[in-house]
Amino acid sequence: MIEVEGLRKTYGEFAAVVDSTFSVEAGEVFGIVGPNGAGKTTTLKVLAGLVDPTDGEVEVAGFASDDPEMRRQLGFLPEESPLYEEMTPLSYLRFFADLYDVPREAANERIETALDRLELDHRERRLGDMSKGMKRKVAIARSLVNDPDVLVYDEPASGLDPVTTNSVLEFTRELRETGKTVVFSAHNLYHVESVCDRVAVMNEGRIVARGSVDGIRERHGETTYRVFTDVAPDTDRLAEVVEGLDAATEEVGDRFRTTVPTMDAVEAVREAAAAAGGEVVDIRTREPSLEDVFLDIVGRQMPGRYTGGGAAVDGSDDGDAEPSGDATRATEPPEGAE
Amino acid sequence: MIDRLRRILRVARWETVRAGGGVDRRTLLAALALLLVAGGVLGGGLAAGVVGLDVDRDVYRVAVDGDSPYADAVEEAPALTPVPVDGAVLGETADLVVFDGGQSGTVETVAVRASDTRKGEAAAAEFREAVEAHNERLMAAEENRTAAFPVTVTLQYVGRTSGLDDGSTLGGSDGGDGSESDGSGSDDGSGNNGSESDGSGSGGGSDGGSTEGDGGSTEGDGGSTEGDGGSTEGDSGGPSGDDAASEDEDDGGFAVPSVGGGTFGADTVGSPGSISPPFPFVSLLLAFVFLVPMNFLIQAYGSSVLDERTNRRGEPLLVTPLSPVDIVAGKTLPYVAVAALVTTLIAVAVGGGALSVIAVLPVALTFLAATFVGAMFARSFKELTFVTVGVSVLLTTYAFVPAIFTNVTPVALVSPLTLVVFDLQGEAVGVGEVLFSTGPMTIGAALLFGLGLGVYREEDMFAQKPVGRKFLDALAVRLRSVGNAGSDSGRSRRERLRALASVAVLTACTIPFVFVAELLAVALLFALPVTVSIPVLLVTIAFIEELAKSVHLYAGFERGAFARTDRVAVAVGSASAVGFFLAEKATAVVQAVGLTELYVGRAAFGSVAGLEGLPPLAIAGLFFAPLLLHGFATTVAAVGASRSRTYYVLTLALATLIHAAYNFGVVRLYA
Repeated sequence: MIEVEGLRKTYGEFAAVVDSTFSVEAGEVFGIVGPNGAGKTTTLKVLAGLVDPTDGEVEVAGFASDDPEMRRQLGFLPEESPLYEEMTPLSYLRFFADLYDVPREAANERIETALDRLELDHRERRLGDMSKGMKRKVAIARSLVNDPDVLVYDEPASGLDPVTTNSVLEFTRELRETGKTVVFSAHNLYHVESVCDRVAVMNEGRIVARGSVDGIRERHGETTYRVFTDVAPDTDRLAEVVEGLDAATEEVGDRFRTTVPTMDAVEAVREAAAAAGGEVVDIRTREPSLEDVFLDIVGRQMPGRYTGGGAAVDGSDDGDAEPSGDATRATEPPEGAE
Repeated sequence: MIDRLRRILRVARWETVRAGGGVDRRTLLAALALLLVAGGVLGGGLAAGVVGLDVDRDVYRVAVDGDSPYADAVEEAPALTPVPVDGAVLGETADLVVFDGGQSGTVETVAVRASDTRKGEAAAAEFREAVEAHNERLMAAEENRTAAFPVTVTLQYVGRTSGLDDGSTLGGSDGGDGSESDGSGSDDGSGNNGSESDGSGSGGGSDGGSTEGDGGSTEGDGGSTEGDGGSTEGDSGGPSGDDAASEDEDDGGFAVPSVGGGTFGADTVGSPGSISPPFPFVSLLLAFVFLVPMNFLIQAYGSSVLDERTNRRGEPLLVTPLSPVDIVAGKTLPYVAVAALVTTLIAVAVGGGALSVIAVLPVALTFLAATFVGAMFARSFKELTFVTVGVSVLLTTYAFVPAIFTNVTPVALVSPLTLVVFDLQGEAVGVGEVLFSTGPMTIGAALLFGLGLGVYREEDMFAQKPVGRKFLDALAVRLRSVGNAGSDSGRSRRERLRALASVAVLTACTIPFVFVAELLAVALLFALPVTVSIPVLLVTIAFIEELAKSVHLYAGFERGAFARTDRVAVAVGSASAVGFFLAEKATAVVQAVGLTELYVGRAAFGSVAGLEGLPPLAIAGLFFAPLLLHGFATTVAAVGASRSRTYYVLTLALATLIHAAYNFGVVRLYA
């Protein structure tokens, strides 16, 4: 449904996006994550046809991103969604439906459905009198008035309270069930992890990792085991069993918790505990979160590491992407670039 | 197409609702009521003749005996207030005293004494005019009209170049007329007022060439006038009109204008710096009324456009199937409709016709277009305020100042408001004059909208940049890349030419603005003495043209569209020069209204007019000489632009000097 090949966007000397390549299947929810200035918003704006790429090919729903017809297949939710505050939700949404040539009856039905699903009441209240969460819901409803195949959401839950955030995320999951293709960006990795089928991690304009959440986690995250014993394990014994093991033991209540990376190490802890006259009372497994993965990937990158070379990490079976290009990124992105 | 139109109308309807919703109803009603009251009072006053227009009412106090035959004349003149002679003190309670001079044969004589002040002189002049007007009324009341108005008619056929009166132009072509009629005026030496030793000399020519010497004395025998304003000999017309400015004044090369030709035959000669044009006061004031609503309209429009840019509010519109052109058209349509409606209503109210509406609409469009550009460039509502005020002042000046000279000179046709004045005066206007007056503004408005649309996109619309940088962005977005390694590699020759053509086209698009700016310069400098106006005008025009040819080149270099090499600078400079050279030929339209018959008009637009009479080789040389000038001067500025802003400013100044020197040469050649 979405094909991006060698996308590059520069603002003068500054490269906001460098050689991004990814694809999104129909009915998939695809997340783009990354720190501020990573190039997420620029990428989404290129998909929405708002920003012309400097280089590369972008195809959305079978149309080039600069094709006006593409816009009929697309619903876009910008990061900020200031509305025309003198209008009501209904008049606002009907106005946009009109611009998409949606027949009045169909428009009314879609609007009612969307607002019902988003649980938005007060449909005749002035938008200027509504809360941020309610406005966000109206903006989301606006992205659906033309019944698009592709939805591009930039930080859909940004700045919302937890209840509204959950509502928006739940709504996004429902969109997948209705066959929509959704691309969205987020700072909050939990949002991405809880909704997305696949993700791309961006840093300094480049995609540094992409693939399924599980695939990336497997590649970059480390499953850890927490072994609880009734006595402190003999650390010398631990070192003997697993060479170079740096296991930290903490006292938690009346128990001792030792975190180790492998099952072999768990066995070593058990032996060490036995040597100390105790035993293992509990073992828990901890899977890495996407946040851990993100920190692992991005946190290690020094500025400029991915400029002009360096392999992207791919957690899927697509094969490694090989970023190229010679654009350099300034310390601060210019206005208009994210 | 229908769908597109429907969507535009949908945006227009939405904009109307929004604009209406943005103002509190009570405020709106209060403003409307205030407007109606003000309009009612003004309209009623105008209708009754008691408001506004008699600004010179009761200015001078004239002591006159109630039994005096002059008492009626004083009574009837609005500017004069009769006061009793008894006890009148000259300079204190009266500006002028009329004494009964007793009987001299069959003639009753009168002695008039004015206070020795400027006001006293003015009161004397007003008194004379009042007496003349009174006498004319008496004559008009005579049953035997032939006896009252003995007329001698001399027919003279001249080419009609404009809807203006004969002799309303300055310069050599009319010089013959001036000398001829002047001669007759001089010969008879009638100097019909010369017999009145009033200290204000006036020569008697009927159709120009007559002069007014301020404070001088008139000699009736030769029609020449001596005075501190310089002497003028009415018999030297045409050829000298092409000479230097001082010679024009000395030799009376100006064949008219027939202004101030009042009852005392005070036909005057000279630039408006030395004459007092007869203001078409009422018509002008009413024409000005058309401009007033524009100022309110652009406030609302500018706010609406800027509101779209505030907090990225307009971003969702950009992802709809509407193009930026559709959006802007839809947003602008209601304001154009309001402008048309208000203009029509005003036209009906003040007695204007379709011509007034046709004339004012381009002005309204330009107001809106300039505001649109300003709102696209402004970073805040505060900045927008400066923009709208600037737009208002500039355009009002452009529209109003030339219209002051409606009855004097073709320069007035620079402004569409002049057409309104003509319309209100009931004078016929040709199609060519309508096009001349309205064309530049209409095209300029379209190009301004085009300029603003260039930055009506996500990348520019929401970015907060200084107005100057936005302007450069708007220009650069219309340029194709030239000489850049990435873009030029693999380009065909045709594609490279196309890139240079974009430079030429953009330069050509500046022509309406150059034209308007030059017309404005002509209109403003026209009021100065010729010795000052011509040099200033030539330098001003050189600067305007050099700026127009190079500012987008600077934008291209600054925004990375052009590679910063001398080769590219020469290429884009030459392309710009060619575009300008071709497009400026369009300014030959000035001949349609006889503007080049004016000295300053010829100085401004001489390169495209007035080549008659020169050898073919010289004509060819003069025809292509501007191309060489533009090529050289623009390349100089382009090379500077490719370096840095400082270099650009310096080379622009250099190019201006080169251009001005060329202009002086051309003017000397024509002279």
